[in-house]
Amino acid sequence: MLETLLPILIFAALGLAVIGAWRRVRLWRQGRPSAVPLLKGLAAMPRRYLVDLHHVVGRDKVMSNTHVATAGGFVAAAVLMILVHGFGLAQGILGWLLLAASATMFVGSLFVAKRRRNPPARLSRGPWMRLPKSLMAFSLGVFLITLPTVGVLPEDFGSWILALVLAAVVVWGLGEMVFGMTWGGPMKHAFAGALHLAFHRRAERFGGGRSTGLKALNLDDPDAKLGVETPSDFTWNQLLGFDACVQCGRCEAVCPAFAAGQPLNPKKLIQDMVVGLAGGSDAAYAGSPYPGKPVGEHHGSPQGPIVAREGKALVDAETLWSCTTCRACVEECPMMIEHVDAIVDMRRHLTLEHGNTPNKGAEVLDNLIATDNPGGFDPGSRLHWAADLNLPLMADVKQAEVLLWLGDGAFDMRNQRTLRSLVKVLRAAEVEFAVLGTEERDSGDVARRLGDEATFQSLAKRNIATLARYRFQRIVTCDPHSFHVLGNEYGELGGQYEVRHHSTFIAELYDAGRLAFAPWKGGSVTYHDPCYLGRYNGEYEAPRNVLKALGIEVKEMERSGFRSRCCGGGGGAPITDIPGERRIPDMRMNDVRETGAELVAVGCPQCTAMLEGVVDASAEVRDIAELVADALVARPAAGATHRPQAEEVI
Amino acid sequence: MRPEQQGVEVAVLVSVGRHPITGRARRADQDARGLELALGLERQLSGSRVSLLHAGPRGEESEAALRGYLGMGLESLTLLEQAEGSDAIPALAEHLAAAPPQLVITGARAERGEGSGLLPYALAERLGWPLVNGLAAVEKVENGVATVLQALPRGQRRRLKVRLPAILSVDGAAPAARQSAFGPARRAELEATSVAAEPDQELAQWQLAPARKRPKRLKIVKAASARERFKAAAAKAEGGSGQVLTDVTPEQGAEAILKLLEEEGVLR
Repeated sequence: MLETLLPILIFAALGLAVIGAWRRVRLWRQGRPSAVPLLKGLAAMPRRYLVDLHHVVGRDKVMSNTHVATAGGFVAAAVLMILVHGFGLAQGILGWLLLAASATMFVGSLFVAKRRRNPPARLSRGPWMRLPKSLMAFSLGVFLITLPTVGVLPEDFGSWILALVLAAVVVWGLGEMVFGMTWGGPMKHAFAGALHLAFHRRAERFGGGRSTGLKALNLDDPDAKLGVETPSDFTWNQLLGFDACVQCGRCEAVCPAFAAGQPLNPKKLIQDMVVGLAGGSDAAYAGSPYPGKPVGEHHGSPQGPIVAREGKALVDAETLWSCTTCRACVEECPMMIEHVDAIVDMRRHLTLEHGNTPNKGAEVLDNLIATDNPGGFDPGSRLHWAADLNLPLMADVKQAEVLLWLGDGAFDMRNQRTLRSLVKVLRAAEVEFAVLGTEERDSGDVARRLGDEATFQSLAKRNIATLARYRFQRIVTCDPHSFHVLGNEYGELGGQYEVRHHSTFIAELYDAGRLAFAPWKGGSVTYHDPCYLGRYNGEYEAPRNVLKALGIEVKEMERSGFRSRCCGGGGGAPITDIPGERRIPDMRMNDVRETGAELVAVGCPQCTAMLEGVVDASAEVRDIAELVADALVARPAAGATHRPQAEEVI
Repeated sequence: MRPEQQGVEVAVLVSVGRHPITGRARRADQDARGLELALGLERQLSGSRVSLLHAGPRGEESEAALRGYLGMGLESLTLLEQAEGSDAIPALAEHLAAAPPQLVITGARAERGEGSGLLPYALAERLGWPLVNGLAAVEKVENGVATVLQALPRGQRRRLKVRLPAILSVDGAAPAARQSAFGPARRAELEATSVAAEPDQELAQWQLAPARKRPKRLKIVKAASARERFKAAAAKAEGGSGQVLTDVTPEQGAEAILKLLEEEGVLR
């Protein structure tokens, strides 16, 4: 009986799966066009899956092995099942291979079941809780129906009741694994994920590459949409990417805003986009909600607004403004989904069309437009901190080996200390450098991440025009945000530069023997990786090498390197200032406290400001440039004599 | 029977502003507050209509500044195009008299040009309309009479009734302007009409020079404690013993200044 039933079942499931796939593809194609090489992408997909994706999955060894057994077993079993039971090619080794594949899958599904017995909070429940049972049903069902085929059991083994039970188990397995794959069950991740990897919007990320710069909006075309208003304003491959989410919640576990109790959960955000692209309400979502926002009150549709001007739609604006753009979620996502791109796309619409950047956002953007710096300071005072340093100006020297990019920290009294230290180091190493001085403008980082692409492009184009007038080999900056924007985002607008972070440059100078340090006498030190240096630009080693050269042994925090926790200062988050239950920098300084370090070395003016703003901190905050400048073995400066106390004049 | 509140026609007069630090053209702060007030009124009274009016030359810089107002959510702005140095008052008065709105809202003082703050008064005089300055809020409009709140120093408010049509001028007491968004600003239209240019004879005779900062009295603080320093910082600078010297020779003047500087301890 089964011999006649099985081919019918298998081909019916496959047929339904094809119809489901066609429906799913139609949903994705609601998005805007995006040019990706289709065939090349499909050809590259197996490698992207087996190498790049499993590189991320492999950070959790148990889960990685579980996935290899389950997914590998399933793919092999499915193909062999079609051959053996669909086409009746049971002779020879095929049947035995099918037995092996389904057995492997069954072992994998046991581990999946174990994981689901007491799942961590980051995992979604709901339909995902039945997945291990479905995996077992499929693998066990296929295993049992294959036993008679290979002759281990007689053909007419058992009664017709047993055959019927077996058929029911196989139907359940096929329903979840084949039909559910394209009709929206948990297995959808396999179908959408495979295509997402093939048509990823940042193909450079595969094969060990890095692609972190935001993509520019076309502002020359007055009909082009400014940012994303509705789910269908995303490009089709972005929608496909959202649909690929497996709801593993690794993003949720590392998100600083979620941990701070701000109303953001990257996993929920991606699921909301899936709700939006299919239409409906978020009531079926079975994971952690946005902190403080109950599930089931939001709904959306492909052509409906994501953020309502008034009332509720798919997502609340404060969810989007909670993000610090630290990219921890993107780094952690085994599906390589681009959360930050999506958030900035939606922010662009809120700022450029709604004119609704929260809190100090509007003021900062107005300042950037009127004074080229976010604080609204007189652009002519950009070099006041260096009045006594006699810095060479590019306008005078026209060319230099190094262009020292100051960044907006030039207006901040704390960062001025870092800049002075950096100048001291450069002079000690006899580097030929110059600054733009008052010709420098904000790089546009904050404007862009607040969604104001127009102001970003205006600043960027003027900076590029200024830089084009001078000759230099490389740009060095102590601000990782400027570093990222100049190095990774100006290229699309016509500015190609070689940019170094000061820690990288100091490490090079030390290696070249141009700097000598006195031995370290201070206490224990830890190092905080800035997001825009580490995850955005992959520079984890140089700062540690500099600290090592200073004779410091770094006591690493639990979350360091590519898993470093954000200081809370990125993405304009201190400007939009969405309330939460805790502060992100407080959590980071707690991480520092846990190492017992007396000093935390940083390499970013934002991190310095955020971490120094923590009350009752256990460690001092010092920029690497300051540590290096203090340790320089050089002629002692003569200017440090005791001055008489002057009368205070207000 | 309570009289029905009906919508009003509001014209907001806007100028090209000037950023106080960089001098770049922008939407003027007070005019933008005036527009914010008008938009609030539009929300409050259904059926109201807000129009924007500017008289002046058209240029790239001024257009960008004017679009700053449009980015607050308006679809068009009427531009009475005039040559540089023309008098805006006759053009505005003529335009307003031709199709009188019920309310004209304007900032108290322009950020560039003369900046004398006389425009609302000159306009009111020409049109024969009442004027309320320092407007903080429009409470209601009933039967051709508006009830408004006027801002007085130190946060005081005065409730006034004013017959329409009327001119209302706003200063820093009016609600802060909303953010100007790039998209609506770019889409909106500037409806330019040429008007007969009446050269501003008086202005042509003036000599313009950058304003000098007024001298500020130095405060010399000899405080020992933080509390005293704070008190000194919070206190207003007081003169008290100043004197006005007229008809003196340069030597006498110099001597008086030297004496003062020695008294104040600037010179020792």
